[in-house]
Amino acid sequence: MKRLPRSALALAATVTAMLAVTACSSGGDSPPAADQDGSTSENITLTFWGSYGNGGHSAQQDVLNNELIPAFEAEHPGVTVEYVDIPYDDLLQKLTTSSAADELPDIVRADLGWVPRFADLGVLVPLSDVMPDWDELADAVFPGVLATNYYDGKYYGLPLNTNTRVLITNPAALEAAGRDAPPSTFDEFVAMGEALEGTGITLFADGGLGAWNVMPWIWSGGGDITDAELTTSSGVLDSDANVATIEMLVDLYRAEKISSGIIGNEGAVSTSEGLPGGNYATILDGPWMTSIWSEQFPGFEPVFSPVPAGPGGSVSVVGGEDIVLTTASEHQEAALDFIRFTQTEKFQMALVPTGQLTVIKALGDKQIEIAPELEVFTRQLETAKNRLAITQGAEVDAILNAELTPAFEGKVSVREALQNAAARIDELLPR
Amino acid sequence: MTLQDTKVREAASHEAASRPRRRRVPLTPYLFLAPGLALFAVCVLYPITQAVRMSFYDWKIVASATSEFLGLDNYARALEDPQFWVALGNTGFYAVATLVPQVVLGLAVALLLHKRSPAQPLYRVLYYLPVVTSWVVVSLLFRFLFADAGLVNFALSEVVPVTDGQISWLADRWTGMVAISALGVWKGIGWSMMIFLAALQGVPTSLLEAATVDGASRWQRFRAVTLPAIRAALGFVTIMLVIGSFNVFISVYLMTGGGPAGRTDVLLTYMYHQAFGNLDFGYGSAIAVILTAIVLVLSLVQLRLFRDRDAGQVP
Repeated sequence: MKRLPRSALALAATVTAMLAVTACSSGGDSPPAADQDGSTSENITLTFWGSYGNGGHSAQQDVLNNELIPAFEAEHPGVTVEYVDIPYDDLLQKLTTSSAADELPDIVRADLGWVPRFADLGVLVPLSDVMPDWDELADAVFPGVLATNYYDGKYYGLPLNTNTRVLITNPAALEAAGRDAPPSTFDEFVAMGEALEGTGITLFADGGLGAWNVMPWIWSGGGDITDAELTTSSGVLDSDANVATIEMLVDLYRAEKISSGIIGNEGAVSTSEGLPGGNYATILDGPWMTSIWSEQFPGFEPVFSPVPAGPGGSVSVVGGEDIVLTTASEHQEAALDFIRFTQTEKFQMALVPTGQLTVIKALGDKQIEIAPELEVFTRQLETAKNRLAITQGAEVDAILNAELTPAFEGKVSVREALQNAAARIDELLPR
Repeated sequence: MTLQDTKVREAASHEAASRPRRRRVPLTPYLFLAPGLALFAVCVLYPITQAVRMSFYDWKIVASATSEFLGLDNYARALEDPQFWVALGNTGFYAVATLVPQVVLGLAVALLLHKRSPAQPLYRVLYYLPVVTSWVVVSLLFRFLFADAGLVNFALSEVVPVTDGQISWLADRWTGMVAISALGVWKGIGWSMMIFLAALQGVPTSLLEAATVDGASRWQRFRAVTLPAIRAALGFVTIMLVIGSFNVFISVYLMTGGGPAGRTDVLLTYMYHQAFGNLDFGYGSAIAVILTAIVLVLSLVQLRLFRDRDAGQVP
């Protein structure tokens, strides 16, 4: 090799080193310059993370960016709200890493299952402590969704929007089964499965066996996952009522009346494609499906009805998002103003047509007026329940999936599976 | 190497003879090494030491919270965790199931492409294309191929009727691992082919010709001349493939998500689930450290096995 001049070598080394250093730096946007007193007299920017635009459906994001945020900014001169849309699947990880790096935004629209775990990390401001008007705001919302913000004696957020799962039926499958209405009870549900035999239509499909998936069946069957005080799962999850409910599902699965997607087969046709596609007769899902299907399957008109009722009635699961304030926020007062704004009729009602159900009790009837197709969801929410309010909600889902899957495959009895799951959930419960 | 060394030594002795002084340490190699080393220290070494440290704690991700020191508890927990053993077993399965076909098929393709042909560059590109294609894209592609109503089931029932076409590939542990391994093999053959192709250029033609003159058959020439000559490449490919297979993550995460019920989890997906799903970074780090130890031991064993005993005899 010919020798390069020393100066050229030095230059090359310096450039490489500089590249290396820049490559290692975080590369993230630096936070906006902060004014320490948090007053609204100067120009401040509130950063707001959420997943309104999930799945590329821009309807909700458009309302937020073009209508709601400008309205708030007009009322609060000097305050700019910068909404950052993050895909739902990435949001939890981004919040986790941002917590570790102390780079959280001011406000987050968080899945209601995440609030206890981030409250436990100490990165959320307890709203019940810092808002003088807390009682008033808390009284206005549905108690079931308010409860999702409770952790260790304090409330760390306010409900923002809610949803629940109802039974969605393909009208063609109803016809094939010779029915004029979706099944309204467990018995009718099983009977519809028999009526569909030979049609090539699978009675039911779901994407897993986590709490979101199985709790509507368990509650409707008259059972629960723990006692009301969250002290034990053993003796509750493995009750006779739950054994009967899960056995009903397992029997349907063994008879190939439930798709293998329920045990986590990624190769099964997804529920959102299989229902309009005619593979599946029924699924349990939320109000957002309408907008997904209107784009991909125009002309598909699904039938919405309450979760089939069992011995416990028709009880579904509460979903949705809460709005939380992080301890990283340097503009707490302005951020609290924005949180108050999200609880107003203007904010809540603007998002109803996009499939976001209101959390304000007094707005329920108005919501049905604006969007009559949401009536089933609104009514279902009256009895819907919240999942376990513990920090390890994700672990509960993993346990239910891991223990119930062998029961569906016929490798263990349903009672044994529920006993195993209960024993593992016991360990997660606060003593 | 040797030649250069001698020259350097000659020059040094010459200098020493004419002007006695301390031997100069050449700066140039260190300048070249510095950027890489700096990058390695900041982006690899430092995170590794942090991960090892985390593995001894019930690590809290927020800096203000105090993490409890657990000693070796996280490691003991892994050894008693049945899911850890499932993940380790799957990783081992993947390593074996992808290593052998990648070496055998990669070498076979390289031997075919070694023959001079005008279409050779085209084939080289075609075989290498999967290597440079995004893991995410091909993982999703393979998930569709192995779906219940996917092309694989269709091919195995309609085109070559060997099954009833009703296999739920991704719904069971071993069929799921076969599907994931199939992707690994398809994506990796091009890489091993490239290394072998380069190594084949170095097989001495004179020896091959001599063997032909001696009446050696094609197979004998391959066994006695080609194979020993590419022994170093064979060792390199094997070691790199084993390391790579223990690092499998994206394809598993996207094709099965470790499902159903964690039965197709590999070590990295399980580690990811523990760290980012359950925020149990201490346990996740312990799994990562165990993985590193396994890979290190395996690599050392292989290095020993492939040590070139005939070094110096084959130019």
